[in-house]
Amino acid sequence: MATVVDRPTSSPRRRSRQSFETWQWFFMRISGLVLVVLALGHFALTHIVNDVVDTDAEFVGERWSNPLWRTYDWALLTLALFHGLNGLRVIIDDYVRSPGKRAAVKSVIYVVSGTLFVYGTLTIVTF
Amino acid sequence: MSPLKVGDTTVYKGKSGQWSFVAHRTTGILVFFFLLLHIVDVSLINFQGGELYDEVHELYGNILLRLFECGLLLALLFHSLNGLRVVMVDFFPGAVRRERMLTAWVVALTLIAGIPGSIIILWPWIEGTF
Repeated sequence: MATVVDRPTSSPRRRSRQSFETWQWFFMRISGLVLVVLALGHFALTHIVNDVVDTDAEFVGERWSNPLWRTYDWALLTLALFHGLNGLRVIIDDYVRSPGKRAAVKSVIYVVSGTLFVYGTLTIVTF
Repeated sequence: MSPLKVGDTTVYKGKSGQWSFVAHRTTGILVFFFLLLHIVDVSLINFQGGELYDEVHELYGNILLRLFECGLLLALLFHSLNGLRVVMVDFFPGAVRRERMLTAWVVALTLIAGIPGSIIILWPWIEGTF
């Protein structure tokens, strides 16, 4: 049966939204794969290989004297924050039904995450 | 889309896939909010020559926070392994036929790595050092 249907992608606004959703889907998979290594590696280093009490300011200072560790930590910060933020965005879309509340809740998490991303980056860069 | 009403069935019909879905979201939210907190506590390193950081950081050796860290480990492990399962099913659709077995592996590996990890985290408390 050959029926021609109006494709739901016909409006440009819908198209751009759809391409964003495709892009974020891909981002979640790629960042997720990288984070399996970065996040579990970070946890193993700070809780298993070393005891948490020993990861004091001196420990951090020694590690951050190496730019590679700073890069590692910054990559972890960035990927984890945006992976988590995007996950939360999808969850909010699922459960917060009223458009007004949805915009309000999203604004809060975007502002908080954005601020903490800048703050965290400054912590690593200015140390 | 209208909200679900009584009598509507969900897509997964309450099987392993739905539980994985719920657990994936729950663990994701937990880890995300811990990350927000962690950005703040690490930032203290730049104040008072690290003294402020050390003061706050000492709390992490407390038994309550050690238990929290065990929870964080289990959440991270589950979210990572379940995420790998999702990626696997996305890129190799044939894997969906082994859905239940994959979920069983996710849970098993979470516990196989998480229980010894938790014992290591709790060890100083078990020994009585903290």
